[in-house]
Amino acid sequence: MKQDILKKAKEINEKFNVFITIADKVETSGKGKLSGIAISVKDNICTKGMQSTAGSRILEGYIPPFDATVVEKCRKEGAFIIGKTTEDEFGFGTFSINTGFDVPKNPLDPERSCGGSSGGAAGLTVAVDFPHIAIGESTGGSISCPAAFCGVVGLTPTYGRVSRWGLIDYGNSLDKIGSISKTVKDTALLLSVISGPDEYDSTVLQLKQEDFTKHLKDSVKGIKIGIPKEYFGEGVDEKITKLVWQAIKKLESLGANYKEVSLPHTKYALSSYYIIAMAEASTNLAKLCGMRYGLHKPIKGNYDEYFSEVRSQGFTEEAKRRIILGTFTRMAGFREAYYLKALKVRTKVIQDFKKAFKNYDVLIAPTMPVVAPRFDEIAKLEPIQHYTMDILTVGPNLAGIPMISVPCGLVDELPVGLHIMGDHLQEGKIIQVAHTFEVNK
Amino acid sequence: MKAIMGLEIHVHLLTDSKFFCRCPTDYENKEPNENTCPICCGFPGSKPKANKKVIDCTIMVAKALNCKINPQMFFSRKSYFYPDMPKNFQITQYEIPLATKGYLEITNKKIGITRVHMEEDPAKLFHIGGDILSAKYILADYNRAGIPLIEIVTDPDFRTTKEVREFLTKISSILEHLEVYDSSKEAALRVDANVSLEGGERVEIKNITGFKNVEKGLNYEMVRQESVRRMGMEVQRETRHFNAETRTTASLRKKEFEEDYGYIFEPDLTRIEISDKWLKEIDKKMPELPDQRIERLVKDYGVTRYQARVVVYTDKALADFFEECCKIYKKPVDIIKWIVTDLLKSLNWNKVTIRKSKVKPKTFIELLKLIDTGKITARLGKEVIKDYVVTGKSPKEIVEKKGLTLIDEDKLIKSVKEVIKKNSQAVEDYKKGKKKAMEYLIGQVLRKIKARADPNKIRRLIEKLV
Repeated sequence: MKQDILKKAKEINEKFNVFITIADKVETSGKGKLSGIAISVKDNICTKGMQSTAGSRILEGYIPPFDATVVEKCRKEGAFIIGKTTEDEFGFGTFSINTGFDVPKNPLDPERSCGGSSGGAAGLTVAVDFPHIAIGESTGGSISCPAAFCGVVGLTPTYGRVSRWGLIDYGNSLDKIGSISKTVKDTALLLSVISGPDEYDSTVLQLKQEDFTKHLKDSVKGIKIGIPKEYFGEGVDEKITKLVWQAIKKLESLGANYKEVSLPHTKYALSSYYIIAMAEASTNLAKLCGMRYGLHKPIKGNYDEYFSEVRSQGFTEEAKRRIILGTFTRMAGFREAYYLKALKVRTKVIQDFKKAFKNYDVLIAPTMPVVAPRFDEIAKLEPIQHYTMDILTVGPNLAGIPMISVPCGLVDELPVGLHIMGDHLQEGKIIQVAHTFEVNK
Repeated sequence: MKAIMGLEIHVHLLTDSKFFCRCPTDYENKEPNENTCPICCGFPGSKPKANKKVIDCTIMVAKALNCKINPQMFFSRKSYFYPDMPKNFQITQYEIPLATKGYLEITNKKIGITRVHMEEDPAKLFHIGGDILSAKYILADYNRAGIPLIEIVTDPDFRTTKEVREFLTKISSILEHLEVYDSSKEAALRVDANVSLEGGERVEIKNITGFKNVEKGLNYEMVRQESVRRMGMEVQRETRHFNAETRTTASLRKKEFEEDYGYIFEPDLTRIEISDKWLKEIDKKMPELPDQRIERLVKDYGVTRYQARVVVYTDKALADFFEECCKIYKKPVDIIKWIVTDLLKSLNWNKVTIRKSKVKPKTFIELLKLIDTGKITARLGKEVIKDYVVTGKSPKEIVEKKGLTLIDEDKLIKSVKEVIKKNSQAVEDYKKGKKKAMEYLIGQVLRKIKARADPNKIRRLIEKLV
């Protein structure tokens, strides 16, 4: 039966390029909460003995000598790893087109993007007909976006809820490992397994392992919903806004109440996010220079020339852009105006959310301002327009709060995501609201 | 022209494991890259985890240097590309280091401590087929990568290399007393020295190992800068490399601007709060520091301040040795006299430290007792020490084997008589009141009998027999 799953995975991959690597065989280590469930792992999460490239040619052939903590935990609970899913190189993108490998296609319409950066994970999730949960990762929206575009559920936990040991870093202060699956229940199940303390990650919170499936209650009675007005503004497709309002009304009819709220620093979140993420990324990527692992070239010239040669060939254009921008923001003379300023803005953004959560249990908004675009439409976008696509997801990601995207209907036959955000460590509440919406829609 | 000097001192901290992983720090006699793991080699997906012992040690150093300790601190990434850097950035401290604004007193002066911070050491590079400028290729050994270092930065308060030497000697002793540093390990203490002549540009001499080399490098650099100026040229701002063989410095790179390392906060490590409780725990662990020890040795043992300084500043182990000896033989004044003169001379001659030598309190005291009980003369004792330091054998054995015990009375009288007979001129001189003649005669007797008698006794015999 499991060999059958690998066969199916290969067939899906042939059509949609959702994998960079597919396992040769399936191995499980006993029974547990995930026995019988196929787990796919975003390629930036290390799997012992299985190539992990983070979507980059510069790490082609890199086989980690250790499992990421989340992978190890899944294996212990009886899951089997079916392969490594396609992504934008190191998470650098919103449409998974910035990959060093084949671009994944949206199974709902192969002319369109799966979203990104966890594009392969969401594309695979919508395409499979066997029990499967994807491990994804979000820095600025890389779980919510593809989940919305592919019409599946994506859960991004609180920063520090899940160990990052084994995650190939993009922006370490922003990176969060989470889950993508067909149902809220499955995302909650996976979170229950992968969360918890870990001595290998200093930023992980010392909280006891929790069972999040206990929050799968069909009730939103008395739940206070905040509607951040800045998230319904210019650039958001009106048809999407309409669907999201229908969902809010639905929740109201089920016993929740809502009120508009303002997150005044929203307009600065995007710049702050990109500056911090790129500054961190530009240092994280420095180690990739063809000296110790990954891509190697014949040695010519001095080490500077050699490093430049390897990096010129190994990185995509977008990675190079982010290295240059990220380096710029932390150089003397600019550091104060960009990097340090962005850190201060981040604090303001967090304060906005903290203030809102004093009065509300959850915040609800559209996940993405558009439905999954066609590749020919994407090709026409300038880099800045790519970045602007993340306008609705970077705020909560910058604040490190948990969020879940659940499908809330179709616009032009394409899925729309409803974004439910909670206060730090309030995964329980967003799971409850998402689950209630899912079973009643 | 007045010189202005400042130091950046890097010290390997004496911890069992590295700063951010659990690899052992002991890299001597290890195969290249034996002590490595995904963390210290910077593998994708690995994350650092700070070793608390390193922070403890650094707090102790900061306290000993009278620093202000920040209640919370951060780690930062210092980015630059170099083959010895596993991640092409170094985890260090930038904006908010562990400690700032301290001082250390040297003779008649306080040297300001700008900051004390922690960082990780990069790998060790081996330049094959040449030196840093001419090597054909380079090999990297990551055993050293990730070993904890503390960096002590001084204010530019030094005016002479003598002050620099005194400061370094004192710092080294403090670190030894704190037991955070092993002075016998090669490269355990490395110095970057900045020097400028008044009104001129600053030159940095990078990565000097050994105190004497710091002094030599600075001396050379001052002379060089002076002659550059004398020729009517300007000293250029640059980084130079010290060549220990030629005792000269050579230009590594021009430094028109401050190097730009693009620091960011290390996002994989959290802010660290140093609570009062933590500081109190460290207070309890603070050992006696060198200056306190010197005062105690003077007070408790009646030794001179000079002698106390010699044993304490030469090597903590030497001061420990002195105190061990005093426990088994209650003659501290004699003990220290022998230590600071002949023992130290012999150790230096053999280029060995007390800890690595075969000298032990029990056998050393045996030697002093041989002298005190008149079994051998002090002069012979000096000879025995030389053998003893090399072999570590029991002094009694050495004395017996070499037949160094005193000769009997009859033989001595016979020898004295012979010397008197042979040196009539000296005898005459002595009778005329020339004191030197007596010393000469005693010397002749000692030579004849290979120093196996007490010189005072010989003196008395000569007086009687002439």
